[in-house]
Amino acid sequence: MTPKALGALVVALIIAAVSFPVGAQGPVKIGASLSLTGTYAQPGRFQHEGYQLCQKDLNAKGGLLGRQVEFVVYDDQSNPATGVRLYEKLITEDKVDGVMGPYSSAISEAVASVTEKYNKVNVAPLAATTSIFKKGRKYMFMVISPAEVYLEGLIDIAAKRGLKTVAIINEDTLFPKTSAQGTADLAKKAGLQVVFTEAYPKGNQDFSALLTKVKAANPDVLAAATYFDDAVAIARQMRELSVNPKMLGVTVGGDIPKFQELLKGTADYIYGSSQWEATLPYPGAKEFNEAYIKQFKQEPSYHSAAGYAGCMLYAEGVKKAGSLDADKVREALLALKTRTMFGDYQVDKDGFQTAHKMVLLQWQDGKRVVVWPDDLSSGKPRFPTPPWNAR
Amino acid sequence: MNVVLTPAMLGQVVVSGLLAGALYSMVALGLALIFGVMRVINIAHGPMLMLGAYTTWILFDRFGMNPYLTLPLSAAVMFLLGALLQRTLVFRVVDAPELSSLLLTFGVSIALVNIAQLVFTSDLRSVEFLTGSIALGPIALSKSRLIACAFAAAITALAFLFLQKTRLGKAIRATSQSREVAMVCGIDVQRIHLISFGIACALAACGGTLVAVMVAIQPEMGQIWTFKSFLVIVLGGAGNYPGALLGGLLLGLIEQLSSLFLTTQLSEAVAYVLLVLALLVRPSGLLGGRQT
Repeated sequence: MTPKALGALVVALIIAAVSFPVGAQGPVKIGASLSLTGTYAQPGRFQHEGYQLCQKDLNAKGGLLGRQVEFVVYDDQSNPATGVRLYEKLITEDKVDGVMGPYSSAISEAVASVTEKYNKVNVAPLAATTSIFKKGRKYMFMVISPAEVYLEGLIDIAAKRGLKTVAIINEDTLFPKTSAQGTADLAKKAGLQVVFTEAYPKGNQDFSALLTKVKAANPDVLAAATYFDDAVAIARQMRELSVNPKMLGVTVGGDIPKFQELLKGTADYIYGSSQWEATLPYPGAKEFNEAYIKQFKQEPSYHSAAGYAGCMLYAEGVKKAGSLDADKVREALLALKTRTMFGDYQVDKDGFQTAHKMVLLQWQDGKRVVVWPDDLSSGKPRFPTPPWNAR
Repeated sequence: MNVVLTPAMLGQVVVSGLLAGALYSMVALGLALIFGVMRVINIAHGPMLMLGAYTTWILFDRFGMNPYLTLPLSAAVMFLLGALLQRTLVFRVVDAPELSSLLLTFGVSIALVNIAQLVFTSDLRSVEFLTGSIALGPIALSKSRLIACAFAAAITALAFLFLQKTRLGKAIRATSQSREVAMVCGIDVQRIHLISFGIACALAACGGTLVAVMVAIQPEMGQIWTFKSFLVIVLGGAGNYPGALLGGLLLGLIEQLSSLFLTTQLSEAVAYVLLVLALLVRPSGLLGGRQT
């Protein structure tokens, strides 16, 4: 090829590129790091599946701004520092068009500094800690109810049934700590006495000494601010040590089907809080549930639903803004007020969720039953929990 | 806001500590054996335990076997895997500086965990077989932990008997005391290395089987056992086999008592502070190092 011909070709290519900007644009890339391995792998992977289904459903309806949507997901191994590195990479190296939040409050808090630095809207569907959204950050958006109210139902039922004392234990990380503190405040407000509190480190598997102390404190209610793995271990070891409160409630874990698969009969009577259930009367919840089971061969958890809803809310923001520009999307999301398959969405000026409602479940004969609040419940709580040797 | 300490609580916690400690002793004996014979710290010891636990889970879940009957199978499988690992990789670093063996077994450890993640996924698995407890006055004895302790004690006793009484056991101890002299006496040191590594992995696998009935199984469950075993053999004296026994029981008690008197968060710190102290004050361990 002669230099002249080469020059002509280059000019032609430039003209082609400039005159068909839409055709030359690739998909809208949305980046996220998720806990696909490590302590948070269980809920993290549900969230991942929520994102995947959202991508599929968006693309089936023509994508976003006329472009296909493509998620770029990395595994942060349940480690906040890894999450920070991955968002930095997503934004600077992969040059994603937008981001979605990771799993857990701890990792969301850590990566918020990165997404704020690069002015990226960060809809964090699984960050439940209030403080994340109250630090003057501009682009953080909350989808689920805050950590403080996770066990509101447990305390409410306990108070109405005349119980007097509560023990609170929690994993020593951001979300469970906030959740435990919130539960203690709710308990005091409801007139219950908090007789024991203690935190345990992340990844702890041996709860015998801790539960021995709980047993000695002999509370009516044990409220455990947990993630999944610890909730399983605590339930098992309570049985081993015959710790018999009249009610046992856990924050995260009790709502996941796997909880019952792992524990079998031991799961019965345990209360778990949930941000969402497929049976709740929200528009599109049933359809989401069916599509999810078809795609992933398992039931969705609330983490799946929140992931899906968060992604859809971000898409809604982009559509309303008509652009991927962070400030325009931010304005749209701040003004948005809607009811999705996940429930109500509305945020205050900080992006803090004010409309979404939690429910309390109880495992009854291997099934999850919504027992609180009354207007959303599908059954009555089985109360009190019988001692382990009587079941 | 804290609770008043009662004798029953103390009793409960001591019992829990000893039950856990017996298991630590057995698993750590494997690490001590490898260190004694080859001067190699096997970072992959915990992941070996994890694979043992998965072996039990597969046999229980797919074939409905009694998990305790899977013990010999899981031990045999891991003996073979251990021997294979020794023959292909570990023998290359036996005489190399200690950093090489650390790096190698660290690499093997990461590989095993990631392979397990690929094969088994990181879903939690459980062997829901024995739940509940036996009440002994105010003390609750978990059935699965009681049985695990009994098995661990029996297996540890067998291992000691083997080391003390059999020809092969004596050859292992001889190699551990002095490889050169053992070689001069006509002991096939390569073979001893192979067998010791196999036995050590089998001990880890037994731990895995017993742990599988107690806690949830996942690919990353093993690492903590590497650390615990390491703590045990430092406390008891690296390469000192009775020391591993003592160290295990001690660690179990320390963990439980410190979570009782302090908090669960501090109990891990206490264990590692002890590790540092042991290294500073009595670097050869409570019973002295490398006597067999």
